[in-house]
Amino acid sequence: MRLRELFTVDAVKLQLQSETKDDLLKELISLLGLDEKSEAILFKTVKRRENLGSTGIGKGIAIPHCRSLVANRLRLAYGRKPDGIDFNAIDGAPVYNFFLIVAPPLEVSNQYLPVLGKIAQFAKDPEVPDLLLGLEDPQEFLDLLDEKSR
Amino acid sequence: MNEQLVLLLEIQDLTSKTREIESGELGELEQSHFGMDPDAAATTLREKAAELIADLKPNIRARFQAISDRVDRPVVPVIGGTCFGCYVSIPAATAGEQDPNAEVQSCETCGRFIYILS
Repeated sequence: MRLRELFTVDAVKLQLQSETKDDLLKELISLLGLDEKSEAILFKTVKRRENLGSTGIGKGIAIPHCRSLVANRLRLAYGRKPDGIDFNAIDGAPVYNFFLIVAPPLEVSNQYLPVLGKIAQFAKDPEVPDLLLGLEDPQEFLDLLDEKSR
Repeated sequence: MNEQLVLLLEIQDLTSKTREIESGELGELEQSHFGMDPDAAATTLREKAAELIADLKPNIRARFQAISDRVDRPVVPVIGGTCFGCYVSIPAATAGEQDPNAEVQSCETCGRFIYILS
C-alpha cells in the first residue's frame, strides 16, 4: 500500500489557521469530512492519545493517531501551519506539519500500524521537513509522498 | 446515542488501546517514534477505564464485567442486521428507528452489548 493512495486532495490543507493545540486538532479532524458528532467523538479520542504523550516527533512534525469507531476505514489528513505552533513536541520546537491517522477499531486489512510506521519513517527523512514547508498546493504534497515513500 | 452506550464504547476503546500497547507492535512503534513509555501509558489507560466503569449504572456495570470476563470485545456493532460479535442475525426490530442506539441493547445470542451501524 502506497501512502499516496491513502490521501485525497480534500484532506490536505496547507494553511491551517488555528492558534492552539486543541483548535488545531479540531481543524485537522475537520479535513476528514465527518459529521459534527463524529468530529466531537474523534477529538476526544485524539486528545486521549495526546494526553499519554505528545505525538510531536520533532523536526516540526506531529502525527496524531488513534483508532475510533467514527472511521469505517483508515482515514488520513495532512495539515501545515506555516508559522508553527507549540505542540509539546519531543524536541520542544514548534510544529509545522501534522499528519492525522484514524483507523477503525477492527480492521480486516490491518493497515493502521504499517501506515503509522511508514508515515513516521517518511517524516524522519531529513529532507522532508523543508520540502513540506515549500509545498504550494495539495497536489504537490501527494507527489512528494509518491516520491519519498516508495 | 445512549450515554451509557457511549461510556461502554469509551471503556472498550481504552481497554483495546491498553491491550494493543502492551501486546507488542503498537507499543514498540509508540516507544521508538513517539518516545512513549508503554508501561506508564498502559497504567494511565487502565486508571481512566476504571474511572469510567465506576460511572456505569450498576446493572450495566455488572453485565459489562461478566461479558468482559469471557470476550475481548464486549461491545460490538450490528452491521446489515448481523451482530459482529457472534455473526448471528439480529431481529429487524433493533434497526431502522430514528436513533437506533437510544437504548442500551444486547445481542440475544451472545449477550454482547450492541450498537447499530447504519
